[in-house]
Amino acid sequence: MKRNPLILVFIAAVVAAMLFAGIHIARKNHAGGVAPGQLIGQTAPDFELQSLEGKSVKLSDFRGKAVLLNFWATYCGPCKIEMPWFVELQKEYGPQGFQIVGVAMDDASSEDIAKFAKEMGVNYPILLGKESVGQSYGGVGVLPTTFFVDRDGKITDREFGLQSRSVFVANIKKALSQGQAVQARR
Amino acid sequence: MRQTPAIGLLLLSAFLYGQDGHGPTGPVVKMAPAPLVTVRQGKAATVPLSFRVSSGYHINSNRPKSEFLIPTILKIDAITDIVIGKTTYPDGRDMSFAFAPDEKLNVYTGDFEVDVLVRPLHTVQVGKYVVRGILKYQACDNAACYPPKQLPVSFDVRIAKAPPAPRKNPAQSPHAHR
Repeated sequence: MKRNPLILVFIAAVVAAMLFAGIHIARKNHAGGVAPGQLIGQTAPDFELQSLEGKSVKLSDFRGKAVLLNFWATYCGPCKIEMPWFVELQKEYGPQGFQIVGVAMDDASSEDIAKFAKEMGVNYPILLGKESVGQSYGGVGVLPTTFFVDRDGKITDREFGLQSRSVFVANIKKALSQGQAVQARR
Repeated sequence: MRQTPAIGLLLLSAFLYGQDGHGPTGPVVKMAPAPLVTVRQGKAATVPLSFRVSSGYHINSNRPKSEFLIPTILKIDAITDIVIGKTTYPDGRDMSFAFAPDEKLNVYTGDFEVDVLVRPLHTVQVGKYVVRGILKYQACDNAACYPPKQLPVSFDVRIAKAPPAPRKNPAQSPHAHR
């Protein structure tokens, strides 16, 4: 088959443009830290944040429990949809050694965040997020972003954006089934 | 040529990997070049600033319906001898989204225009001035929201000389034109 050199040059140009765009975007996105996808199977980065009650809370305090780590914000409509599910899931799976931890990633005052959480009937700890914590989780550029951590502190899954309730249930069951149940400090 | 589809797939994967979980790759809101507005010393003029929200996204209007939502706000830097007056925002559209079908949000989608009133002082030198500022917005799509952003804004204003003040004629006698 005779190949038209012009077509080959065109294909090469398109391929080069795609490669350049892909690498450029990947570099730009990963400049702030590890990519969220790379965290799966790794130990969840530990952090220490203030809770709405003014207590200092570490993620490692929950070692021995399966944790749903939810990055959210008061301005985030899709986050609002998930919260009532989280309240139910905390009640349902809490006795099995499951804990939801919310990390508020917005600039609203702690009073406003507390008011919002109260309106939503939140029954799990809400921590006041910091950019550095978001960066350690690959940069939280999408809200909600949710990580699932097993009893040993390893990340089993992560979800970006609003998911169906069944996705959360499946991920929670998976996190609960992995790692060793030991007495958590909280 | 048989390898071409495979290479394309590989590169598409690289492209998608770059976008994995990080939201929009570029600014959700872009500003169109602003028209050059000419205004005379001491007079006021409106500068229309046109913005476009990328397809599939929405941003809150200037008057969102919830205290927790972040309004779109234009902040213009103070500039010597040119007074920045009222900023007029368009009404948003009441829309429902898949994540909250029973709730109406007041948002901007597609194109919208924000008007800025500028009024140079009488004493300002004639010439072209650059006015700068930022548009603060917070975008969402149907399934996720993205942290607040600031879009740099700039526009030019040409200051023209004020027309000469009308000469005050002395009062004339009603009999002067007989």
